[in-house]
Amino acid sequence: MASLISSNRSRGIKNSLAKWLITLGGISVLFTLVLIFLYLLYVVKPIFDSAQIEPKVSLDLTTNEKVLSTGVDELQEVAYEITEAGNIDFYHLKASVPEADNPFAVGDNALSMSLFASDDFNQEQVVNVINSFSANKLLHTSKGKTLLIQPSFYAKYANDTREIIPQVNYPLGQGSLIIDEQQTPLSQLAFAIDDERIVFVAVTEDKRLIKTSFIAEDDFSSSSDGDDVEYETIFQQIELVDDVIDEIKVTPDLSLAFIRSASTVYVYSLNDDEEVSLKATITPTLDNNNTYLTSMALLSGSSSVLLGDSSGRVSQWFEVSTGSGRQFKQIRTFNANDDEASYDSTGQTSSAITAIYTEQYRKSFYTMTNTGMANVFYTTSSAHLWQGKLATAQPEAFAIAPRANGLIIIGNDALDASKKSLQAFSVHNEHPEVTWQALWQEVWYEGYPEPDYIWQSTSGSDDFEGKFSLVPISFGTIKAALYAMLFAVPIALTAAIYTAYFMTPGMRKKVKPTIEMMEALPTVILGFLAGLWLAPLMEEYLPAIFLLFIFLPLSTLITAFAWHNLPNHWKDKLPETLAPLLLIPVMILAIYAAFSLSGVLELVFFNGDMRQFLTNDLGINFDQRNALVVGIAMGFAVIPTIFSMAEDAIFSVPGHLTSGSLALGATQWQTLIKVVLLTASPGIFSAVMMGLGRAVGETMIVLMATGNTPILDWSIFQGMRTLAANIAVEMPESEVGSSHYRILFLAAFVLFIFTFIFNTAAEFVRQRLREKYSSM
Amino acid sequence: MISISPKALAPGSDTSIEKKLDLSNLTPEQIALDINKLNLFYGKKQALNDITMSIPKGQVTAFIGPSGCGKSTLLRSINRMNDLVDNCHISGEINLHGNNIYDKHVDVAELRRKVGMVFQRPNPFPKTIYENVVYGLRIMGENNRRRLDEAAEQSLRSAALWNEVKDRLHESALGLSGGQQQRLVIARAIAIQPEVLLLDEPTSALDPISTLTIEELINDLKKQFTVVIVTHNMQQAARVSDQTAFMYMGDLIEYSDTNTLFTTPLKKKTEDYITGRYG
Repeated sequence: MASLISSNRSRGIKNSLAKWLITLGGISVLFTLVLIFLYLLYVVKPIFDSAQIEPKVSLDLTTNEKVLSTGVDELQEVAYEITEAGNIDFYHLKASVPEADNPFAVGDNALSMSLFASDDFNQEQVVNVINSFSANKLLHTSKGKTLLIQPSFYAKYANDTREIIPQVNYPLGQGSLIIDEQQTPLSQLAFAIDDERIVFVAVTEDKRLIKTSFIAEDDFSSSSDGDDVEYETIFQQIELVDDVIDEIKVTPDLSLAFIRSASTVYVYSLNDDEEVSLKATITPTLDNNNTYLTSMALLSGSSSVLLGDSSGRVSQWFEVSTGSGRQFKQIRTFNANDDEASYDSTGQTSSAITAIYTEQYRKSFYTMTNTGMANVFYTTSSAHLWQGKLATAQPEAFAIAPRANGLIIIGNDALDASKKSLQAFSVHNEHPEVTWQALWQEVWYEGYPEPDYIWQSTSGSDDFEGKFSLVPISFGTIKAALYAMLFAVPIALTAAIYTAYFMTPGMRKKVKPTIEMMEALPTVILGFLAGLWLAPLMEEYLPAIFLLFIFLPLSTLITAFAWHNLPNHWKDKLPETLAPLLLIPVMILAIYAAFSLSGVLELVFFNGDMRQFLTNDLGINFDQRNALVVGIAMGFAVIPTIFSMAEDAIFSVPGHLTSGSLALGATQWQTLIKVVLLTASPGIFSAVMMGLGRAVGETMIVLMATGNTPILDWSIFQGMRTLAANIAVEMPESEVGSSHYRILFLAAFVLFIFTFIFNTAAEFVRQRLREKYSSM
Repeated sequence: MISISPKALAPGSDTSIEKKLDLSNLTPEQIALDINKLNLFYGKKQALNDITMSIPKGQVTAFIGPSGCGKSTLLRSINRMNDLVDNCHISGEINLHGNNIYDKHVDVAELRRKVGMVFQRPNPFPKTIYENVVYGLRIMGENNRRRLDEAAEQSLRSAALWNEVKDRLHESALGLSGGQQQRLVIARAIAIQPEVLLLDEPTSALDPISTLTIEELINDLKKQFTVVIVTHNMQQAARVSDQTAFMYMGDLIEYSDTNTLFTTPLKKKTEDYITGRYG
């Protein structure tokens, strides 16, 4: 009795231990899956967040002078304002640590100085401060004098704390610049600067439109105080088309000037130092006669111009190549009207755009309307990111922080109009370029003739805009998988049918494990062979490849037919088990014949070179690493998967069903088609879907054998880029936390969804088939 | 000790009008199958030894014997199902209409259309009831809907299944009970109008009620077909058959009309078997 109890006890312990271990294992598998899923979502989620703008610091300004310009350093620790008296005042936006040598609090003055250091300036007021896409600002005074300044910041480290020290640089010296040869005061002025050249476009008070270029002897960035910079000046006069010029903008690449006169914008080409020519005229179609243009701004990247009108609309224009040369076209419009307010066609209740502010590096822009509403848009994705009221309805000065993560607004205090305040806002708008529409729909990018699906994540140029359409890479995934299945399914299924149904058991025992062993072949080897050996070979012997698709099945059929009709005493010499081996020399012969005929065919039908013929005569693009290579290589990788499962399914069709059919006078073939395949159909279907799942997720082969070109083209001679390969190629070069990084995670998520859908659909169909066709 | 009185056991038998056949002296018109010196080997092992017998037309012939005696093998030789077994060699002949079915030129599929077979376990195809019944016709190329419908109804009526399934002909056959499935399989076999119907232990997987139904059916079937049945169950053989062959270790021990075999067996082995000494 005692022994019975103890043995029961140890068994009980083992039993419960096993139970717990298995439960733990199962739960941790599920938990891990959920965790992966959640992590993917966690990384992806921020790209779909809308923008947020939150007030950070508010300072009362002591000055009563009109503020003309403002700005902030990259870290948003020190902001400045430039007043009409020509003073610049820097304020701390962040308090120092208490133990600092010179402690300061929020709002303390960091530096105050007059910008008029030179004797050139005497008792005058700044009338205009012109911003550029660089840190440089141009001051224009009431006496027609001009000064180029550059507020700048450097970090000082003392006692392990960082302090941002502001300063003002004068890139061209502290003296006044001569922009108009006749030194008349200017009514409108715009400029742009690069290392070697500064271009000013201005309207003088006596109504001349002029272009002035400073060409550096050396370059403008070499000296910080600018006193010793030498440059040559070229003065040019531009034919004035219209008397009243409202606004002038010069693109940062110094190539174009946009000159707005009421509701017409004239585009001048500035490239020629001899003659400035009118390149185009933009006349936006406005809603009605009461609507007119109110403001104009350049978008980062020198290509697009934004035009705001009195009905609260902003339109984006850029040059597009059309049949009749390059033309400016309206690409898209943005509506800055109140979401709630109904839009009135007379433009009465709608809000006019009073100002458009563009970000320095991205295609985002802010608009202010006369109703005091601020809006944030992103051009390329057509996204309306934010709408709301900021501190003051009509800011005197508005600046976007260099990293686009903050705003500085100076204006009259909302509560007390006599007081002036500087408001700093923090902006959370990291991924404005990504919207669901931009990822899955056609997007009209700058410089493209029409909207298109583009994946191009990086480029050599700085003002490059990432193009993240998931369509071409999702398409590539499906294309690669389909071509692979086209190659693999017929081979794998016929092989499975032959092995399971016709092959002798002895032969089957050897053949099945051999094919299954192919599955263990690392796909990197297949990809390597496909990319470096198969692709060039196919390019050279293209007709041979197509001949093989005819020769191999044909020669097999002929051999089988011949064998079938061979007299018995011949057949008896070769054991039936070995008969299929007869095919080996036949196939070798067929391959040899195809390759030898390749050259002849090319000579006869394709002018000597099929590849050239395709490209030149038929106009079919040919990539060396194309869908044909991938289809064959990845086909090889999925054949064992499909074969193995399908063979099992066919082999396990119960013998009594086969006998039942045969006993009714059916032939082997009829039995196969009408009973065996029908009964095995759930298993065969699963096999194909498993193969498809594998082809969709396969990375190495497509990475190495496709050329990774993200194009939308079903052509068998073109490459593709798949989701999996795209992640593998680009993940190492994407910056953690960037839109690109998060979109790659989204691509992973999409891949996950793809396989999830395939597997679920497969399982669903399989269950249905099984219910219908399951044998007993 | 079992004593069997076939008359008492055979339900609804109309033996009174039947006259006994002289099995060793049948006229060619009376013979459905003529087995002549049939030897069958599985590899080196001989499974049938020199079997010679004539199976009369329009009657039920039962093969009985202990497990492994070769009765099923003999049955399966009649429609060449043994061809599917590897290493199976056959010598001797089986004549159907005076033609040896083992002749080189015989089309096996054609032979099996004439000699239908029903197996031990019901094996309906995973198709509808209707498609199961017309399967044999369809593979013969019959696609005329009306003719298929007629054949299906007629076969199902012959198999005493029509009333049970007429409302669900287009539902899966796998939803039928075991006994119904077996009758469906019989309907499927007779739909192609074979001459001979081979039944390989058709009731061994069925419950007693279904067994009874099948047995009644067999009695009806012999009006149209020559029926050969293999059974374990001596009572069944006694109930349904007109002739019985007792086989033992691959030999045909005794073959006579059922009454005689069960009441006055000539051979000691037969007597031992039917009285339950072995088997």
